[in-house]
Amino acid sequence: MKRFLARMLTCTLLVVVALQTTSCLQVQVQNGTTTTNNKSNTANGQLKIVVDPKAIGLDYWEQVHKGAQCAASKQSNVTVQWDGVNAETDVTGQINLLTNYITQGVNGIVYAATDAKALAQVTNQALQDNITVVNIDSGTDPQPASVPLFATDNVASAQKAADLLASSLHGQGKIAFIPFQQGTATNDERSQGFLQGLKKYPGLQLVAQQYSQSDANTALRVTQDILTAHPDITGIFAANEPGVIGAAEAVRQAGKIGKITIIGWDAAPDEIKGVQNGEISALVVQNPFKMGYDGLQAAVNMLRNHAKVASEDTGVTFVTKNNLNNPQIQAVLNPSCAHPPV
Amino acid sequence: MKQTAKRSADVAGTEEAQETTLTFGQRMRERFTDIIAQLAAAGALVIVFIFLSFTSPVFLTFNNLFNIVAQTTVNAIVAIGMTFVIITAGIDLSVGSVSALAGVLGVMLMARTGMSWPLAVLGGTLVGGVAGLVNGLLVTVARLNPFITTLGMMSVARGLVLVITGAVAIFGTPDNFRLLGEGSINSVPIPLLILIVIAILAHLILTRTRLGRYTYAIGSNAEAARLSGIPIRKYLTWIYILSGLLAGFAGMIASSRVASGQPNAGVGLELDVIAAAVIGGASLFGGQGTIIGTLIGAFLIALIHNGAVLLNIDSNTQSIIIGAVVWLAVIWDQFRRRRLTTISQ
Repeated sequence: MKRFLARMLTCTLLVVVALQTTSCLQVQVQNGTTTTNNKSNTANGQLKIVVDPKAIGLDYWEQVHKGAQCAASKQSNVTVQWDGVNAETDVTGQINLLTNYITQGVNGIVYAATDAKALAQVTNQALQDNITVVNIDSGTDPQPASVPLFATDNVASAQKAADLLASSLHGQGKIAFIPFQQGTATNDERSQGFLQGLKKYPGLQLVAQQYSQSDANTALRVTQDILTAHPDITGIFAANEPGVIGAAEAVRQAGKIGKITIIGWDAAPDEIKGVQNGEISALVVQNPFKMGYDGLQAAVNMLRNHAKVASEDTGVTFVTKNNLNNPQIQAVLNPSCAHPPV
Repeated sequence: MKQTAKRSADVAGTEEAQETTLTFGQRMRERFTDIIAQLAAAGALVIVFIFLSFTSPVFLTFNNLFNIVAQTTVNAIVAIGMTFVIITAGIDLSVGSVSALAGVLGVMLMARTGMSWPLAVLGGTLVGGVAGLVNGLLVTVARLNPFITTLGMMSVARGLVLVITGAVAIFGTPDNFRLLGEGSINSVPIPLLILIVIAILAHLILTRTRLGRYTYAIGSNAEAARLSGIPIRKYLTWIYILSGLLAGFAGMIASSRVASGQPNAGVGLELDVIAAAVIGGASLFGGQGTIIGTLIGAFLIALIHNGAVLLNIDSNTQSIIIGAVVWLAVIWDQFRRRRLTTISQ
């Protein structure tokens, strides 16, 4: 038993020491070339820009990816490095990832912060190293003046979502709210907007609120339990893709399709199908393609022309069964470089 | 078990082997402590159950209990595999990532290649088994310790999920696939039936087969087991394969419940599952643990989650409660093991 522990300890120590040594070596090698890279390559030379979403794995971030790639293809000599952590909750992971890129010496970083306060120091570090920073979807707190934010105005959009829910329910009824993760700017802003919007409708009663942790299975579980506790609910608002998928699934399993109005954020394929077959009443669709597109363009502009770029509200569209097939809506839902919704 | 122990004393004849010969009294005490551990966990389960029945009017409804069972199945199945590994004094940190990998690959098989969903489920499960095989070989042949091995697999599997799927959730499953995770036969949830079958098989393997006996032997005293002639490499590898297979199958059930392959599924699953096993009496030092105990642990955690939502408690508080329960379980475990040592001396 003692031997086992001793062996385990030695192994762990060796691994840790090995990792430290290699990262030290990396830093030493990179430091020598960092400043030269940044200075000599900006005007017309090769630009390496990291685009880092909150997490890899959601349809939403893939649109951002497409937008950034589209913008890069219209420029010359711009390489987009798409990288990210696995879970939107992995704040430390994102900090480490970006710090590594800063050390490597990239020209620009376009990223969505998993935590507004924690990532502020990373932005500062990058700015100190002469790396251009642009935020997409979620910014930092504080948001430096030199770092533009291309995002949806979540507060205003969530207020409109509350209006939409209220009009579907004719201002009366019990509702549930499924936010995703406390602490992220997008979550907190959407919550703030939605709850503010609800205040205008005293007939709407918020009876339950549970976090989905951005996991569809968790959303399914908590929505099921909410439906058990409050069988007379007539409306649900879910604040991001996994939440909508889980909530819609729970409503279907409870046999309450059509009896509960679901309004949700984002537009993954099953969410669209949900709108088509009546499970989901409306989707609040952002323009992640535009975030990636405008974000990357801004970074290149700032690097090559030393331009000052202002933040921008990339806007939302409400998608319902009625307008699903309009061409403008389709451009937002299925963006491509040929038909960019910008 | 008694006979094997006696034979090892004859063959080896060394002091070491004699120390592992268990007297009847000692064996009875070990069974007794297993039962006490299960009683403690079961007691907690009953208390929480009664508490929720009184504080929430909808807790004791058929619908709610049905949901709890369906919701717990994924974790319980993985926890059964984890029990085997923990009994050998090992650990499998890769189960979350492996279940996601299996879930995603299985869904891809049915959505992209048109494979029938039962075959795709089998495919996903086998993917888990392959991951388990790699874990097992690294632990037994390369002699890496289980913590580091499965920690590495946790990263590798998650990375594979993202590379293979292009980092996007996979939709497009056939409608009948949902039956796996949500169907019912005569009002009995299919996941529950599956769980019962797996639990019974696992219990039989653990208590009546050589694999089971050797699992306990390896966990209690690996050196003595090796000296007694037990082919540790073979059995330990099979144990990790088993854990991988169960993680894979559970991943398919999770995918079925949301009709999609989610690359972010199973994040943190390993900790919930280890907690379930530990609450149920498994010791991280090896040699102790039962299937029934693990199931009790898994259901206790599920009850806490369910009760919290019914009573409108937020998710952060839920985490605190579950963490505290794990502490209590481990403290209780330490306490009774120390008492055991003093009694037998």
